[in-house]
Amino acid sequence: MTLGRYLRNARERRRERDRTYSLRQVALRIGVEPAYLSKIERDQVPPPSEGTIRRLACELDEDSDLLLAMAGKVSGDLQAIILQRPQLFADLLRQLKDAPDHAILTVVREVRDGDW
Amino acid sequence: MIVLQDDRLEFRFPEVHAKARCSISFMRTLRLPDDNRSYPLPPGLGHFPLHHVDDFGATVPSAWMRHGGVFLPMYQAEAMWINFNCHYPMALKIAAGKVCALTGETWAPELVPEPQNYLVVPDQPWLDGFCVGQDLIRQFVAMPLGEGYSAEEQLTGEARYGGLQILAYPMKADVYKARFEQPKLQRMYSPMMAEAAYAPPEMGLAPGGLMRQEVYEDNHGFEAWDTSVSSRCFVHILNSVQYRTVTGNYPPSIPPSAADYARAGLPWFEYYASDLAALSGAASLAGLDSIAAKKIKKGEGVLADNEAIQLDRIVKLSNGQVREGTF
Repeated sequence: MTLGRYLRNARERRRERDRTYSLRQVALRIGVEPAYLSKIERDQVPPPSEGTIRRLACELDEDSDLLLAMAGKVSGDLQAIILQRPQLFADLLRQLKDAPDHAILTVVREVRDGDW
Repeated sequence: MIVLQDDRLEFRFPEVHAKARCSISFMRTLRLPDDNRSYPLPPGLGHFPLHHVDDFGATVPSAWMRHGGVFLPMYQAEAMWINFNCHYPMALKIAAGKVCALTGETWAPELVPEPQNYLVVPDQPWLDGFCVGQDLIRQFVAMPLGEGYSAEEQLTGEARYGGLQILAYPMKADVYKARFEQPKLQRMYSPMMAEAAYAPPEMGLAPGGLMRQEVYEDNHGFEAWDTSVSSRCFVHILNSVQYRTVTGNYPPSIPPSAADYARAGLPWFEYYASDLAALSGAASLAGLDSIAAKKIKKGEGVLADNEAIQLDRIVKLSNGQVREGTF
């Protein structure tokens, strides 16, 4: 599914229960023109900026990393992390590319609990 | 499991339900005047940075490595509130120095319905302090551990733990499915320092000024909670004066005083969730000395930056509205 269609579906789902999720009101809340949001939803313009995607994600309660990936973008904070240690993180990602979800979750760093 | 994400603690229970997640952040705020008058909700002034204790094992107090968890920096006499953001209902136990912030009892991992020793999210969008009355809390204010101000020291006579302790129990998956087939679309947002040349690094939370805030009764029923699983976290509080020594980073800027904020005409907040009943507060917590009172009792003079303030702008909030201020 394209980013535009995904966003439109997400917004329309919410609008069925909450009229404030009209195209005009959502556009107003995220700081873009309604005509521009309409074009985004119809995939008539290239994906918007990272900031706009993040505001849309927040507004529609969607995952910003997922929306950025659908837009073919990597979030700025991830880019900064990779750039600090590019070889290490490139190697890590290649090693994990075919790993199942549960295997990837095992390398997610948990907050350690101790004795208290 | 608990992970640290963008200075928020993310409690997740994927073994219970894919949506069983709760995000907790610790918000900087104004310290209310500690003058026994009750004030509305102060704004959020951004969140405190959070770090894994393990990342600074060489420089944090040794007990912290035993406790595990995370830490955040606070200035002496700085205030904070805890912001909860989730859709999936959870029962949260919150303690300061292993003293329950709702009942004043010493820490135990169990949920107890009477007197209720947990709060329920997302019904409870935030917690600003110790529950001392039906719609009154005393603000969480950081003070050095060992000087007698913290709720822990006043109630147990010991300065042993400091910090905050948080334990989460998710709602049972079958209860969630039965009651929340169509998840609600509400999102929960939120909405001093006399620096000594040497300051002890560990801080505890002491009762500060009075604030009008309700801690809500469990509206789901005690049987709704899945007590077979839980996650807990020790949140240590580091004196901001020591933050650079421990982390190498500059500490957050000093927040404005409540008087400066009020003089600038910036908003304060009131929150209403009229369909929910409030807990009555704990007599043991109500009997604690506030910081200003303790300071006088100790013969240390009056609390700085504690002038009474005139509030001209109070914003009424309901579910899903932001409680943020700028300065």
